[in-house]
Amino acid sequence: MTKTSQRVTAVLFCVFLAGFGLLHIVLPDRTFSPVENRNLRQLPAFTWSALADGSYTAALETYLADQFPLRDGWMGLKTRYEYLLGKREFHGVYLCGDRLISRLEDDSRSEENLACVRALTGKTDIPVYLGLIPTAAEIWRDRLPEGVDSFDQAAYLKRARETGAVWTDIAGALAAHGDEAVFYRTDHHWTSLGAYYGYAALMEAMGEEPVPLGTARRVSEDFFGTLYSSSGVHWLQPDSIERYVDGAGVTVVSDGETHGLYVDSFLAEKDQYASFMGGNAPLYIMRNESAAANRKLLVVRDSYSDSLAPFLSQSFSEVHLLDLRYYRTPVAQYAEENDVDMIFVCYSVENFIKDTDAALLAQ
Amino acid sequence: MVFSSLPFLFFYLMAVLAVYKLSPLKIRNLILLLVSLFFYGWGEPVYIFIMLLSIAVDYTHGRLVERWRENDRLARRAVASSVICNLAILFFFKYWDFFAVNIHALTGIPLPVLGLPLPIGISFYTFQTMSYTIDVYRRDAPVQKNVVTFGAYVTLFPQLIAGPIVQYKSVAEQLEGRREDLEKFVSGIQRFTVGLAKKVLLANAIGELWDTSIAAQDLTVAGAWLGLLGFAFQLYFDFSGYSDMAIGLGRMLGFEFLENFRYPYISRSVVEFWRRWHISLTTWFREYVYFPLGGNRVSRIKWVRNILAVWLLTGIWHGAGWNFLLWGLYYALWMLAERLFLGRWLEKLPGALRHVYTMLVVLVGWALFAVEGLDQLAAFLGTLFGGGQLWAAVDGYHLRSYLPLLAILTAASTPLMKNRWDRLGERARSVLTPVLVLAALVLCTASLVDASYNPFLYFRF
Repeated sequence: MTKTSQRVTAVLFCVFLAGFGLLHIVLPDRTFSPVENRNLRQLPAFTWSALADGSYTAALETYLADQFPLRDGWMGLKTRYEYLLGKREFHGVYLCGDRLISRLEDDSRSEENLACVRALTGKTDIPVYLGLIPTAAEIWRDRLPEGVDSFDQAAYLKRARETGAVWTDIAGALAAHGDEAVFYRTDHHWTSLGAYYGYAALMEAMGEEPVPLGTARRVSEDFFGTLYSSSGVHWLQPDSIERYVDGAGVTVVSDGETHGLYVDSFLAEKDQYASFMGGNAPLYIMRNESAAANRKLLVVRDSYSDSLAPFLSQSFSEVHLLDLRYYRTPVAQYAEENDVDMIFVCYSVENFIKDTDAALLAQ
Repeated sequence: MVFSSLPFLFFYLMAVLAVYKLSPLKIRNLILLLVSLFFYGWGEPVYIFIMLLSIAVDYTHGRLVERWRENDRLARRAVASSVICNLAILFFFKYWDFFAVNIHALTGIPLPVLGLPLPIGISFYTFQTMSYTIDVYRRDAPVQKNVVTFGAYVTLFPQLIAGPIVQYKSVAEQLEGRREDLEKFVSGIQRFTVGLAKKVLLANAIGELWDTSIAAQDLTVAGAWLGLLGFAFQLYFDFSGYSDMAIGLGRMLGFEFLENFRYPYISRSVVEFWRRWHISLTTWFREYVYFPLGGNRVSRIKWVRNILAVWLLTGIWHGAGWNFLLWGLYYALWMLAERLFLGRWLEKLPGALRHVYTMLVVLVGWALFAVEGLDQLAAFLGTLFGGGQLWAAVDGYHLRSYLPLLAILTAASTPLMKNRWDRLGERARSVLTPVLVLAALVLCTASLVDASYNPFLYFRF
């Protein structure tokens, strides 16, 4: 090796390491990462006791990684490196051509939570409907990398029919339209189109005709969803978000505040899916005086119901959307007190099999 | 702290190099001692006291051996006392719980199980300090009268927590004065970067394969072998990468450590494998256990005893568990077999077959090593040798996901790339070195910033 090459190597090595070290110190810390959709670790406070038990240095290491200069770029580079090496699974998310599909594993609560629904049907005389939304890993099983293991959601849904609740065949409805865009490509949720088929399945279970789909209105073309964030695969095209219901005359009340069916301000943020209804909340009460029927529906739900709600607003004059994670109340009691006409337990399989609050269904 | 971490690379290393290179030669050992203690205390600050205790104990014993030089009986007592102290520390932190649980199971005597976290690198530095007193007694190395210099040897951060096990005699002179120049510094950078890349880009990337295998509900025969292959690669690139980083850091600071690995996976016999794998450990056991017991210059029975002793100790050194003892016994038997008869038969086989034989022995050995708990081990070995479905679709998925990486790992396990590199002209190497160093740093940084998976396998030892 020539002397020049030695000098260049030594300088590169030191400048790279010292340079990024200094940049780390100089650059301001971020509180939130829009790309990863999570809060970043802040500089931990020093205490002697935290130092002694090792938690200080551990926190410091997380802080250094979270606040590392150009963090998003580094993460994308790592994913590309792994992709080149043949990997197709990134942090539990499969890259399937131009789309991401989350891996699903069985959870210990899957059977227990079905028993909770069964208990609910015994608790109340109000009709109970159960609709479990399979994830893309089931509907698009054939798009997963060949040979991967995936929790058998079809077999689980078969068992879920036996709870005594009226079964809503969402899986069948989605599978019948499996060649359409029923899930987002970069997000784990169903699209408005997927949600419409879910709504249609509910109406069918009730023996009614669904309101026709209507025409789509595209409100976003730059939606990067949760799978984009968690996988680190940052080279896919963004999703678009469509709305089929204009929401005229619909009001949504949450925590004393009233707004419309959509909260457009979320379209300017990372979590654009929250523009339906306004994202996670303990309870939404949605009213539509021009609905097709004057009746009250209680939906016990997760975030998949955000995009289902617009369609429900067309067939129910009042819909209570209850999220048991944040609104901890026995469901039967809530339904009686609010005099609802029917209860719709509607979860994605992914959330339902690991939900720790389903006991509230049984109380 | 571990080398392949952001705080080490971007803050600690640069700060240490700056302070070290700017300080006068006379106080560099003191600087080394201080920064090494900081390095050690990063994860578990309270254990710094064990480190200090270790320095004090062995420094004193070295001086005692020297003082009693004329009286061999006393000098031998000092050596024995040093060995006992070191082994007592090691036994207390590493083996007490294992001992207590098994004594309780055997005799019913209840002994307290302490559940203390294992001080990082304790198996490495207790062995190093033991070597010091013995070397002084054997006149292989001079006594060290300067406690700072001795402390710097014991705590030397490059090899403190995962080896190589540096025998005192091999660095005694370097501790007093060492050559530091640009050429050595840059060769240190090269070696360190190679090690970092082996650890971060290769070992971490293949590590998940074994973890998925061992966690699989219905593991197939193919899946078990594939997983085991993944583990073999992970362990080698993890551990040899660490040794490379240690050797590289040593050079940056002016030290030359001995090699710890020489392409073990190209071996054509088990005996050869152990001449190439974790050389500093096998050397240690050879010089401080096997030879003192008489080596092979004794009766056949005693020789068998010596082999068994060395390999059972090697096994239990790796961890307090029955599987590690079993693993040691397994190698003792292969060693005996090869020396007694198998070796002669093997010589008649073509090289490729001898290689296949060696790799099979080594892979099954890694199963004993990796699967803790005898029930799980029996189940895994059962699967490995045909107890189960041969092949499932998911194995195909894993094979496809890891095939390019497995090809790279296979090539990197041989001297192919090294030889190719050595054959390049000086011009080509001069151009490529800075480019490759920078590329490796960039990729490693990317991997570490997204660090969801960065264990160090040899940390447990």
